[in-house]
Amino acid sequence: MVSGGRKVAIVGMGGAFPDCKDLSTFKQKLFNGDSLIRSWDQPIAHEKNIRSTVSGYITEEEMGLEAIYSTILPGYPETYIDHLGRIPDSNLSTADIGSIWSMLGTQEAIKMAGWSTLETESEQTGVVIGSGGAGNTILRPAWHNFFELKRKSRLAGSHTVDRTMTYRDSANVSCLIKNRGVCESIGSACATGLGNIGYAYRLIKFGLQDRIIAGGVEGTSIETFAGFDAMQVLSKGFAPAQSSRPFDMNRNGFVCSFGCGIVALEAYDIAKARGANILAVIDNYHNNSDGDGNMFFPSFSGQKRLWKGLMNDVHIKPDVVKVHGTSTPVGDAIELLSVVDVMGDKDYQIAAPKSQFGHMLGGAGAVELITALMMLEKQQVLPCLNAEQLNPELEGFQKSADWEGPKQPLAAYRHLLSPQTLDKEINQIVCLNYGFGGTNSAMAISRDH
Amino acid sequence: MERQEIIDGLVEILKTVRTIDQTKLVNITEETDFIADLNTPSTEMINIAAKTEQKFDVEFEDDDIDDLGSKVKDIVDLIIRTKEKG
Repeated sequence: MVSGGRKVAIVGMGGAFPDCKDLSTFKQKLFNGDSLIRSWDQPIAHEKNIRSTVSGYITEEEMGLEAIYSTILPGYPETYIDHLGRIPDSNLSTADIGSIWSMLGTQEAIKMAGWSTLETESEQTGVVIGSGGAGNTILRPAWHNFFELKRKSRLAGSHTVDRTMTYRDSANVSCLIKNRGVCESIGSACATGLGNIGYAYRLIKFGLQDRIIAGGVEGTSIETFAGFDAMQVLSKGFAPAQSSRPFDMNRNGFVCSFGCGIVALEAYDIAKARGANILAVIDNYHNNSDGDGNMFFPSFSGQKRLWKGLMNDVHIKPDVVKVHGTSTPVGDAIELLSVVDVMGDKDYQIAAPKSQFGHMLGGAGAVELITALMMLEKQQVLPCLNAEQLNPELEGFQKSADWEGPKQPLAAYRHLLSPQTLDKEINQIVCLNYGFGGTNSAMAISRDH
Repeated sequence: MERQEIIDGLVEILKTVRTIDQTKLVNITEETDFIADLNTPSTEMINIAAKTEQKFDVEFEDDDIDDLGSKVKDIVDLIIRTKEKG
């Protein structure tokens, strides 16, 4: 039972987004109903050794960055150059690509928040950013040098640890902005992005910090992509823009994508007192575990308990539910039915932004929270692309004797998903994300009234 | 190999080490201290050593790297000493 605490506001945002040069391009393309998913030359180069070839990837060039490769170790990105002069060289030298995106997103979020240097460098300012995977693009050539080529460990230099450690994104951001408060990372697979923001929310709510840079990131990595490809869980056989198709009958997997979402959180009263532009107020955050011992399979009862926890002592009546909606066969069905079981089938809309940019893994929850902030601002619901036909038959698990959820097929809830951007009065949005290991997370945000 | 030739080669290496303030890479002498004068992070010394091995086609002993001083002359001496060992 959790109650009380301080109100928390979101006052800034930033990040890195596929096929977009900045936040405003991202917003424009999303509300145009565009897809940010493209054919990717990196998996294509592996020909028949890889199944999926589409991704919402981000190149170094698109971010104004350039990798400088080692003259000693083949394929080892020794450091990066920022051609736009945003990040000092010394900070770039300790960062992998995801950490650089985190630093860029942080600069943008702090600028939007309007925090002074004194506020940013305060003991009351924290950094909580996480990533789903390791620093794979750094580790692969470093390990190859040592284990396969049998060469000295020192040839990889002294930055394989700082550029690949679990909390590298937070560490690099903290060294850049020089905050004196908390610096750590939460990991919860594909719920990482929302999990870090939820944890940051709690730190402010309970008075441990006044402001926090929080978010999630997944740096472009063919190594990460190959891991999921091996599991046979990635979308295959569709044109890029049609590949991510949450809730559609013919969906056959998610699109493995990459990106970064950073938000600036601040104690509401402090933000209000300094006249900050409040992008949203966080009404509540709740997370739990399925408790069924299953690493991968989603849990209807776990998601129902998630909603119950979110609604505990808090007024939750969202106009939009931003779902996890990955485009996987079982995940989407369980999620839609759990949402309907709690929310009924009218007076709200479902937004599934992964239909536009795929699944950014550790970045997903944070980038999708940013899409929710944009929906609040624009008073428009993002579409669910490619949900052409929902299953008119009952799902297999709905026919089981112990199924306690809705008894209608997914097609009965077609009206909750719009194929186009939709105008709507939006006062509250619930954001949902789940991850391997049976972790579930939910956050409700509202317009500041 | 002349000592100045080695120093010039070291400066070329230092230009690729991005944690070092590049404006300080003028008038590098044998007495220049990587850490005290160039503010080189101590963790960066191993990068410099590895790049030095490649550039001058030598392979240092681990103990020699452990005992390496932080002045330019220390690494110049080590290069010459290692080359002499063959």
